[in-house]
Amino acid sequence: MTTAIKPRVYVRRKKVQLSAIPSRVVVWVIMVSFALFSVIPMTWLILAPSKNQVQLQQDNAMSFGSFQGYADAWNNLMLFQDGRVVTWLFNSVWYTSVQVTVACAVAVLAGYALAVTKMPFRKSMLITTLIAMIVPQVAFVLPLFIEITTLGLYDTAWAIILPGTFFPFGVFLSYIYFSTTIPLELYEAARIDGAGDWGVFMRVALPLSKGLIGMLAFFSFQMNWINFFLPYLVVNSGEVLTLPVGLGILFSSTPALNPQVGANVLPIRGPEIALAGLMVAIPILLVFLASARLLVRGVLSGSVKS
Amino acid sequence: MLLQRSKLMGQINGFLMFLPYLILLVMFAVVPIVLAISVSMEKTLVNPDGGFGNYLFVLQDFRFLPAVINVSLFLLIYLPTMLIVVAGLSLLLDTIKGRYAVPLRLAYLVPAGITGSVAILVWYFMLEPTYSPFAPLFAEVGWTQSTDIFNSGNLIWIFALMTFFTGAGNWIVIQYGSLQSIPDDLLEAAKLDGANGWQVALRIKLPLIRKYLIYMLVLVMAAGLQIFVEPYLLSSTVFPGIAKDWSLNQLSYTLAFLGSNLGAATALSLMLLVVMLILALFVIFRTDFFDEAKNKIKEQ
Repeated sequence: MTTAIKPRVYVRRKKVQLSAIPSRVVVWVIMVSFALFSVIPMTWLILAPSKNQVQLQQDNAMSFGSFQGYADAWNNLMLFQDGRVVTWLFNSVWYTSVQVTVACAVAVLAGYALAVTKMPFRKSMLITTLIAMIVPQVAFVLPLFIEITTLGLYDTAWAIILPGTFFPFGVFLSYIYFSTTIPLELYEAARIDGAGDWGVFMRVALPLSKGLIGMLAFFSFQMNWINFFLPYLVVNSGEVLTLPVGLGILFSSTPALNPQVGANVLPIRGPEIALAGLMVAIPILLVFLASARLLVRGVLSGSVKS
Repeated sequence: MLLQRSKLMGQINGFLMFLPYLILLVMFAVVPIVLAISVSMEKTLVNPDGGFGNYLFVLQDFRFLPAVINVSLFLLIYLPTMLIVVAGLSLLLDTIKGRYAVPLRLAYLVPAGITGSVAILVWYFMLEPTYSPFAPLFAEVGWTQSTDIFNSGNLIWIFALMTFFTGAGNWIVIQYGSLQSIPDDLLEAAKLDGANGWQVALRIKLPLIRKYLIYMLVLVMAAGLQIFVEPYLLSSTVFPGIAKDWSLNQLSYTLAFLGSNLGAATALSLMLLVVMLILALFVIFRTDFFDEAKNKIKEQ
């Protein structure tokens, strides 16, 4: 394999030579500066809680304070409503876990049903799913709010959790996966061996869909962990809220971002708010970096390559 | 007879597998829309007759047109920037082979973590001259006060910057992924025909990822039209009033929760939803993006 590629590389290097060198440099400069610019805000956010408020304003923006800084920021943050931030973090974790689990299970089953089974109205169900996945969830927020109040779920955890389990994009991904990646003959073979519809799903399709489930979990996590608008509308009590919405509450009730909120005596300023923001951002960052390969392998290319 | 029975069983089992999703689809897409349609027709204090009057009320509201203009101008900056940067950088990234592309790819994904309420937090500190790592640059252009940057004239740029950075990186990586699926022999053939790097990128690769780019634009536009968190949080917490009723969804929020006019708010939501539906139907039936997916069902 490597020996087959090597000669080609040499040929290309010879060809590149003089005329192409300046344009190679330009290409690298563009790509590396965009990379640097991409990394600066997150790096700042990671460094900010290590400093105190004075250092945050006076020191170099990209400097490191001390590890004690993180502990101090954490202790100060805990003073807000008796450690409310921990409740928010806990809520976010368990809501998202339920959402991801249910959304993935439902999507795998439905995608399989569309791709492999003889269920009726497959075409119209597929089109409906395509429409639902293109219309952003934000568009449904007010109608969902009306439904949730009508059902009496207002201000409960279910008001946040349930709508997040509806995952049409996941159904589409799973449909594509079962109709292209796994050869149809494989299902037929299992059927000839005497497996029923559920048997084929459990023994053939499911064991082959680890990659698919990874991808579904990634997208549904990303969608639900950061959701703001709906949780903000359907929940009012501090103890039911999620971390991203709680962060918004910290903005408005502490002088961290708005010095005019002066009456507040809590020491929640720049470093503390940055630490709270970091708690929202780090999980998404880690999930994204871990799933980089999935994204490259082609969320889209899978949808057209057969 | 036996065959017919097994066919029927297949249909039933397939339907049972699809059922949990169907229930969620009905509960969280169909029912909310039906309820919203009925609420949008209800009588309100300002519109005692109900019916389509609520829709008319929104269209005549003095905040409606400015919000349409704000969101349109925002899209006018946001969409072309996304298209050019994502297409450009994914094509450039594709010219680097192997391991050198990996750290760049990872770096581009980092801003994906900075979204929603965190985006407001981080960009406040990135743009506020007292804290910003870019403060020396700002000073060069004469921006030394918070108000030099955070003023109503700059809002469109600020929101475009926030939303662009949240999404650009992961779209670059996704488009780069679809470039990887272009067969090598096609590119080799073009090179043998004497095409240089630029020509290969613009004449061969770009047309091949065109439909992915159109798909991205539609998704980005649908999300952009619905912009809420960024202007709402900036305006309700950090700089009170700076972006009041700036976007259409903010107006809908204000009508519902501050103006106690749920009828008009829902009417506005539904009008936006209709725009979304048109966009969705356009992608599904007027572009070739989903052709393969749709045809799969016919084949079987």
